[in-house]
Amino acid sequence: MELDNLKAIWKEQEPLQDLQPDMQQLLQKKSRGHIARMRRNVRIEALVMLLSYIPCIILYLVWFDGRLWYLSLMMSLILVVYWIYFLKKDRLLKKMQCVTCEVRSNLTRQVRILDKYLRFYLWTTTLVITISWFVAYMAIRYSLHLKGIPIPQWLEPLLIVLVIPGSIGLHYLNKRYFNKLYGREAQKLRDLLREMDEG
Amino acid sequence: MQETFIGLVSENRGILYKICRMYGATEPDRQDLFQEIVIQLWRSYPAFRGDARFSTWLYRIALNTAISDLRKQRRRPASIDPDLLPNQLQDIQYSSEKEEQLQQLYSAIDRLTELEKALTMLYLEDKSYQEMEEILGISQNNLRVKMNRIKDKLRKMTKEAVYGIG
Repeated sequence: MELDNLKAIWKEQEPLQDLQPDMQQLLQKKSRGHIARMRRNVRIEALVMLLSYIPCIILYLVWFDGRLWYLSLMMSLILVVYWIYFLKKDRLLKKMQCVTCEVRSNLTRQVRILDKYLRFYLWTTTLVITISWFVAYMAIRYSLHLKGIPIPQWLEPLLIVLVIPGSIGLHYLNKRYFNKLYGREAQKLRDLLREMDEG
Repeated sequence: MQETFIGLVSENRGILYKICRMYGATEPDRQDLFQEIVIQLWRSYPAFRGDARFSTWLYRIALNTAISDLRKQRRRPASIDPDLLPNQLQDIQYSSEKEEQLQQLYSAIDRLTELEKALTMLYLEDKSYQEMEEILGISQNNLRVKMNRIKDKLRKMTKEAVYGIG
């Protein structure tokens, strides 16, 4: 077929019957795009975190005449750290796409922010979990101190032996997991961008 | 505002159908993509000031949504058995020689990359290089080089389809 023929055939094509939905109804629907879904997941994670931490924080404040207030404080600190983490993730996702921009600049933005998002996700996950272990250790230490029990000498070396390799291992496990989750898609975007720039 | 928007989208529905047919591997994929494009258009519509032509704006959003959509698409069936299709769809796709040619064209397009599909779409819609640049953000010189390559590919692939070569 000659190209002019192709153009003629292209222009004369009939719209597909099954793609004629009710527009009014369609406008009420939520986006099912990947970024919208990622943002929804972040919000669900944040909500689950809030719903599981707040009752614990309140309970530790009320139980045993408030003697466990330090646990409440530590959980509040962890919650604040997580909250900042969720806000930052949501902000990055919000900036990730510009559908009204030229296709090339939208792709450049997506690749740049997706890389940033994955780096942030990876490092903060490792860091937040390590901090949580440290906070848990501090809680145990303080609890022993309150009860007048001497702190065993092996506790700190044990913490170091567990936390350092644990954090490194977790970091690599997370890296593999994130790569499995987003690696192929990130590569697809990078390839597409490279193809756009090639002459 | 909603009525004006629906009116504008309805006027340009053909473009959306073609993009969905090009990028959607299966019918549910096309429906999902159509829905996603319309939602993105509706969300962006309040910021549309008419600086660019409505069609340019629409192409940008539709292609951005179709190209960068990271959803896993269902696999496109290797061949379509007309007897397995619903009657209505059969009539549309196989009612004429032109439809068969259109199927051949889509089969050829299906073998192109995501970017090549976008360029082919704009070429078949008779867009100028300047408009293509405004939509895709690729320089006109680069577009010319790419377009020549795609035209050769299309010629070759549609010939293969007609003469059964390849």
